[in-house]
Amino acid sequence: MIGVVKNDIVKLFGTIKSYDDGTFYFDEKYVDGSEYKGPITTSASVVRGVTSFANVVSGKLNIPGEKILGLAKFFLGIGLPGSAKDCFNQIESLSLLENNRIFVPLILSLPSKVLSLTSKDQLKVEVTTVFGSAAPPLRVNLVQVLGSDSKIITTDSKELQFDLDNNVHYLDITPLKIDVGKYSLVFEITLQDSEHETVYTTGGRNTESVVVTGLIKVDKAEIGISENDAGSAESVEKLDLLKDTKVSLSANHLQKLRLSFQLSTPLGRTFKPHQVFLKLKHESKVEHLFVVPGSARQFKIVLDFLGLVEKFYYLSGTYDLELSVGDASMENSFLRALGQLELDLPEAPEKAPRPPAQAVDPLAKFRPQKEIEHIFRVPEKRPLQEVSLAFTGLTLLPFIGFLIGLMRLGVNLKNFPSLPGPAAFASLFHAGIAAVLLLYVLFWVKLDLFTTLKYLSFLGVFLVFVGHRTLSHLSNTTAKQKTA
Amino acid sequence: MAAPRVLLLLAAAALLAVSSVGDASGEGPRGRKLLVLVDDLAVRSSHSAFFGSLQARGLDLEFRLADDPKLSLHRYDHSASDLIRGIATECGVDFDEDPEAMVIDHINYASSEVEGDHTLIAGDDLIQSDVILGSKKIEAPVLFRGIGHAANPSNSLVLKVLSASPSAYSANPEAKLASVPSLTGSAISLVSVMQARNNARVLISGSLDLFSNRFLKSGVQKAGSKMSHDKAGNEQFVTETSKWVFHERGHLKAVNVKHHKVGETNEPSMYRINDDLEYSVEIYEWSGTSWKPYVADDVQIQFFMMSPYVLKNMSTDKTAVYSASFKVPDVYGVFQFKVEYQRLGYTGLSLAKQIPVRPYRHDEYERFITSAFPYYAASFSTMGAFFIFSVAYLYHK
Repeated sequence: MIGVVKNDIVKLFGTIKSYDDGTFYFDEKYVDGSEYKGPITTSASVVRGVTSFANVVSGKLNIPGEKILGLAKFFLGIGLPGSAKDCFNQIESLSLLENNRIFVPLILSLPSKVLSLTSKDQLKVEVTTVFGSAAPPLRVNLVQVLGSDSKIITTDSKELQFDLDNNVHYLDITPLKIDVGKYSLVFEITLQDSEHETVYTTGGRNTESVVVTGLIKVDKAEIGISENDAGSAESVEKLDLLKDTKVSLSANHLQKLRLSFQLSTPLGRTFKPHQVFLKLKHESKVEHLFVVPGSARQFKIVLDFLGLVEKFYYLSGTYDLELSVGDASMENSFLRALGQLELDLPEAPEKAPRPPAQAVDPLAKFRPQKEIEHIFRVPEKRPLQEVSLAFTGLTLLPFIGFLIGLMRLGVNLKNFPSLPGPAAFASLFHAGIAAVLLLYVLFWVKLDLFTTLKYLSFLGVFLVFVGHRTLSHLSNTTAKQKTA
Repeated sequence: MAAPRVLLLLAAAALLAVSSVGDASGEGPRGRKLLVLVDDLAVRSSHSAFFGSLQARGLDLEFRLADDPKLSLHRYDHSASDLIRGIATECGVDFDEDPEAMVIDHINYASSEVEGDHTLIAGDDLIQSDVILGSKKIEAPVLFRGIGHAANPSNSLVLKVLSASPSAYSANPEAKLASVPSLTGSAISLVSVMQARNNARVLISGSLDLFSNRFLKSGVQKAGSKMSHDKAGNEQFVTETSKWVFHERGHLKAVNVKHHKVGETNEPSMYRINDDLEYSVEIYEWSGTSWKPYVADDVQIQFFMMSPYVLKNMSTDKTAVYSASFKVPDVYGVFQFKVEYQRLGYTGLSLAKQIPVRPYRHDEYERFITSAFPYYAASFSTMGAFFIFSVAYLYHK
């Protein structure tokens, strides 16, 4: 029965999954969101079962040590799980693996993966159980150092010394003459007691990557303008790239800009950083970036403006120069403003491409607008009140003159009919005329046309009747006087 | 972990607020249900602090895998990262073409003993906006590790919330630079937001780790700086921007537009030129739980017909009522009362109310004009002279 279970366990471990970095885990098929348990829960239940079984069963389980180590690395690699259940599973599995009867995994870790040559850091390695307890006596050897592109730097095996107080294996890297850069270090752990080989699993060779950093020296920096064909630079200025400089250069499209400098590592070799950019920024915010190519000796860039006229969109004017040099292994990466370049390029032809639109400061779009007050139409200027009144007086003068004239002429009303009948009609006639004139005045003051016309029609009929009687009577009287 | 870049793009950009627009006075402008689309359910635990804070604010989260068949969102035959790139481009944000690229900054990186490739950026170039980032300044730098993007300069709706420093560039840290990187300097945006014209808000981040428990709880020390912070600015940044994205801040509504002649209370259907009128509107801002009065000094009213004839600042007495009074211009026609309010981070207000303006009636002019007195005098003196003459002529002997 036990043998069957042992076989099944071996088969179960055959279905283990792994990530690329050496971690192993168990997972179930994803069927339904609510029932899916996830790799943490699944792996934890396997670890729980297998370690409990191994603790009570006699004899060894046939599980390769690297799978146990992989499971331990999986649970360590989760970090801080989010749910309480996952946290419980993680801690429980690690504690079961801490001292289980199959293999106790020993984890190799580097407390610091960044070593600085400037501060003379030592390479420190820790080998502990999953919960950090001390490992049995063992030796850690640095067997290989591989550079980037897997270039082998050194293969002499160096044993790391053991610091008992801090439980750390350490090694001075300065005698190794390792320069700045990224390296893969291959460690080999060997247990001092051969009996421990059946109890602990170390994974044999462990590879860890480190970055060695240092201060990079910059010197022989020069910038200048040279003519198109001649080799010698016309004006060369030495630059101190330890601080911002303010050179002032001017060039036209027939000239070239030269910039050169040397970079060397603390050990004196030439250094090729990841980022070596020269940026030219026009006053209209259009930018151009160039990678400064590096050879074995130095970094040098030559900007031939004749070929760059179109790339620069024919924009003449002031360009700000900026040099940025940086790398992961460089402790003094810098971004330096070099100065300004007055560039004189020819005029853009009709079909030249326009420079790309530049970003507008978003805050500028959202300002309140300027207030607008409506300017009302100024009414026309009128003459002064006194002037109007003066002219009113002048207008009335003829009337007054008329009255005075009538007085002078000795006007009389002798011809007014004396008989009561005609006299009444005559009075009514003149009263009617006066009424019509009064109606006109009333119309001007407040009446509207319809009312006025209504009254006028009444008055008009009346006036015709009365007027006819009066005037015919008057004409009869005059005719009688004439014939008599 | 397999395909980290896809994770970075997919889950980071895919927090959608399923909006059931609530119009009742107690409800906010957007519903409280939130759909979280992830590529890997482990995100639920590695980012539990962020999701926990969202749930604490009353949002109802639902986690789904991106290719869940029960979702009504469809996934076409592209890879997830292409889809996210497409959506981002529509929002005015262009990610770096190279899927292996990350933002590298050799000067403004966060010191770390574990990694030395300077891809962990300590970003402190934040947008100046109290609406988006909250009124309290974020003192500590924000940790970021991921892919960078650029805001399209021709898009006027996208804003860079967290920009990279001038020394940053986007490239594959594992390989040497094959060509000039397309994204460099401050043009690289680490986190951008976009507010569409219908006031929908989108936040696009190139780093999923920015929201993770690890970054929210970790301390930060910028390389080359002596000052180290116990807690990175991530938690404050993430909380405040999520409040803005889910419309818990900066969402305005304008109600109760009123206008009347000075001295009256009813709203006329037409104004006459040279009338004095008063206009008032109430503006509220959603605070996450209720509508609070919005206080600002730059809300303006326009009296508009083809172009604004009058543009005036409105004043408020802090009770959400904004009012202004002015004289109707002496141009007649059909005008509009327009309030156009667009400010960084706030939803836009665009109100228009039409009102006709008529000229003077014939009897609203000046009745008796002094400078016309000579004419009046002429007319009446003629009438008087006629009467006298008629009498005099008929009866003179």
